Amino acid sequence: MTKHIKKIGNLSRRQVLVGSAAGAGLVIGYSILPHAVDSASKAIAAGNWDHQQYLTMDADGKAYVYVTKCEIGQHVGTALAQAVAEELEINWDDVNVIYPDSHAKWGLMITGGSWSVNWTFDRNSRIGASARIALIEAGAKMLGAAPNNCTAKNSKVISDDGRSVSYKDILSKTTIDRTFSEEEMKSIKLKSFGEYSIVGQSKLPFDLPGKIDGSAVYGSDVFVPNMVYGIPVPNPVRWGAIPQSVDESDAKKIDGYVGSYVEKNGFARINTGYVVAFGETVWAAMNAAKALKIKWDLGENKSVSSEDIRNESVKLQQDPSSGFLWVLEGDTDKAMDNAATKHKAVYETSIAYHGCHEPMNCTAYEKDGIWHLHGGNQWASMAQPTAAAALGVEADKVVCHQYLAGTGFGRRTEPDNFVLAAQCSKHLEGRPVKLLFTREQDMQFDFHRTPTYQVVEGGSEFGRMTAMNHDVVAGWSTKRAAPGFMPDSVDKKGKVDQFSTNGSDHWYDIPNHKVRSINNELSDKALPVGFLRAVAPSWTFWAVESFMDEMAKKAGEDPLAFRIAHLNARGKNAGSPPNSVGGANRLKNALLVAAGRAGYGVKPLGENEGMGIACVSSQERGSPTWTACVAEVKVDPNSGDLTIKKVTVAMDVGTAVNPEGVKKQIEGSTLHGISLALYEDMTMKNGSIEQTNYDTWTPMRLDQAPEVETIIIQNGHYPAGTGEPATTVVAPAIANAIENAVGARVRSIPMTPEKIKSALREA
Amino acid sequence: MTVLTVNGVNQVVDAPGDTRLLWVIREHLRLTGTKFGCGLGLCGACTVHLNGEAVRSCQVEISDAEGAKITTIEGLNGGQGGHPVQQAWLELQVPQCGYCQSGQMMNAAAFLSSNPSPTDSEIVEAQQGNICRCITYNRIKTAIKRASEIMQGA
Repeated sequence: MTKHIKKIGNLSRRQVLVGSAAGAGLVIGYSILPHAVDSASKAIAAGNWDHQQYLTMDADGKAYVYVTKCEIGQHVGTALAQAVAEELEINWDDVNVIYPDSHAKWGLMITGGSWSVNWTFDRNSRIGASARIALIEAGAKMLGAAPNNCTAKNSKVISDDGRSVSYKDILSKTTIDRTFSEEEMKSIKLKSFGEYSIVGQSKLPFDLPGKIDGSAVYGSDVFVPNMVYGIPVPNPVRWGAIPQSVDESDAKKIDGYVGSYVEKNGFARINTGYVVAFGETVWAAMNAAKALKIKWDLGENKSVSSEDIRNESVKLQQDPSSGFLWVLEGDTDKAMDNAATKHKAVYETSIAYHGCHEPMNCTAYEKDGIWHLHGGNQWASMAQPTAAAALGVEADKVVCHQYLAGTGFGRRTEPDNFVLAAQCSKHLEGRPVKLLFTREQDMQFDFHRTPTYQVVEGGSEFGRMTAMNHDVVAGWSTKRAAPGFMPDSVDKKGKVDQFSTNGSDHWYDIPNHKVRSINNELSDKALPVGFLRAVAPSWTFWAVESFMDEMAKKAGEDPLAFRIAHLNARGKNAGSPPNSVGGANRLKNALLVAAGRAGYGVKPLGENEGMGIACVSSQERGSPTWTACVAEVKVDPNSGDLTIKKVTVAMDVGTAVNPEGVKKQIEGSTLHGISLALYEDMTMKNGSIEQTNYDTWTPMRLDQAPEVETIIIQNGHYPAGTGEPATTVVAPAIANAIENAVGARVRSIPMTPEKIKSALREA
Repeated sequence: MTVLTVNGVNQVVDAPGDTRLLWVIREHLRLTGTKFGCGLGLCGACTVHLNGEAVRSCQVEISDAEGAKITTIEGLNGGQGGHPVQQAWLELQVPQCGYCQSGQMMNAAAFLSSNPSPTDSEIVEAQQGNICRCITYNRIKTAIKRASEIMQGA
């Protein structure tokens, strides 16, 4: 059923080399060219270590953990360093992180999907352990003891008679040359839950102090000698417009105006055409961008509106030949015919905007035949080759340099800003260009979250669901951004965009279950659509978890009891190690914890107040983070105004590597989910996004933030990702709470007061 | 030429008088702790102090800032760091991506200097204009209260 991106960079047919040159420190990494180098110390001596180097130590015994991820607010480097340090038996004060430049040797450099810790914890633990073993062997030799009689602790190797030698002494006085085979790496016995001393501690994130004294460096803070500023001129249509002619006469009157880059051919990952204004100062470039008079061919999407995209979705859903199957179990048609209780509902979500507070930017220049691209980037493995293709150079002639990012949410997986900056610099014959999006550019030329239209139909008998039919109509971001990742549909009739569909393959026991995934190509074409935090589970669970409540009520059951009756860790829902071990039982447990803590069904509530529950297994079936939520709301039936009084979120993360970091991710993603569910409306008219700045679109403001109680469930299972799942659970919990409060069922996101009032009229 | 007094230092700036203070602080003087968010004074990422008052520097023309005492995040607490607001922000690990936090702290610092013991609703009202996209608002509210305690020696 569910396919997810194959892990790249795991242990396979490779050796780990641990080597040092006396006084030069230690290098630990995978040899991906095993025949080129036969020994780590020789490679270091020859200065040609060109491997996946995940850990280095200097002659002072300090460790540097290499993090091929982007810091977008999740403090990922700190958690990944904790995994290494735990097994390395090093003092935490001796640990730091390095974010390397892009290079093919790193494999997939991507930050997204709540994958970072989940994909890397085991590898980093083993990297730390292999270094420890090599240090123990070297230290034992210096102590004249057998390695078996030595242990490591607090940056020292200690023999069983109590003598010790520090990592610093070992690394400054001796040479290490140790190779670990794949088998040996796999057989290293790692610590288990309960034995940790660094994992499980809320270590202060490395990136945090600089964010308090103003010294943190983001992509937009890059300075390069002789650089000019580039400000894009917003196209009049989101996608499809082409500049025909540019009148520079007014721009030329601006002191510091450098010129403009007019691209009539466009580039697939940016736009069909574009104009960028250059200035010696940012102020000159901004004024020039406004002063350029451009004649545009508006292209084929010039009249597309949100309504058109929605109408297309409705039409596609009604056509039985549309789409491809993502789930097919049993016979839903037959089961629906036989069901005693039947229900059908339509759920929708609007266009949504990433709204990164740091607008897109990149500083680009060419030096000695290499193109350097500076900026915060979530997918360097995409930006690097894409920029190279646009420049007409080999991929290894482009290097992406990583920076802190003022949020990412998937927006920085898109290479457009990197490619455009590179093109600008090429246009100026290699002169450095600092490309900055204005808020207007960023808001309108996002790769937005697709609007979605879903129809769910279910049948039940004796309080149990016997059938669920689920149609998901959406723009398909993966088809545009990474079509090679799309798996076959279950009926083998075509490819399915799993990142537009997953979540619909939920963990409820429903014997007859069908999910049809339908691509709305108008959405792809006119927006086009991208990946926004949590991606598909933000809409699939909106439908599934709203529907489960509706179905429970239709069947006369309590929504909590109804869910629990369908959560059974058996058959396909038994789960499997490492990620989904425990299966549906873990989701059931999270649900009970959240309901219990919040007092669901127990706590006295006032008039027009209600509690709603929901539970999700976001992000993917292969890597679920079991998450449950109770929302407590009050609705004003006259105005439709909604007050979220409190939200309780319980998340089974298996092992919390940095509990405070996990808590912050849950808090932020929960409130982001509420912001999307209630406030973040976005619309298209005449092919253009109607909202332009924070006056016409705004995320949640401070007065709208309810109390969030987080419960982190740890049971020693493998660490799950925590950056996204809570985003997906709050909207249905709120809709369910609204119904419990005032009897109105809202099925469209964002849930505005108007929609609540309209639902009240229908109630 | 415009002379600006930023963090106690007189800076001669060669820029048109209508240039917004934000860009001079960031791109000319390279005090990059102050951030661009919207350019319309709607988000607070660019908040600095002008004679001790919190202002949106993306709306201030440098010709209007001449002669004023301008303070950025780098100059808070006399450039020593460790302002009670910064202490509280660190203690509560407020920042996630951190992009808005200089503006949040500058806004909070100015607010607390005029209202050292604010109520919850006064905090909400004062900080309402500062967007945090990681939505760390609850920690911001707690940190402002904590900073108030620190200022009073608690």
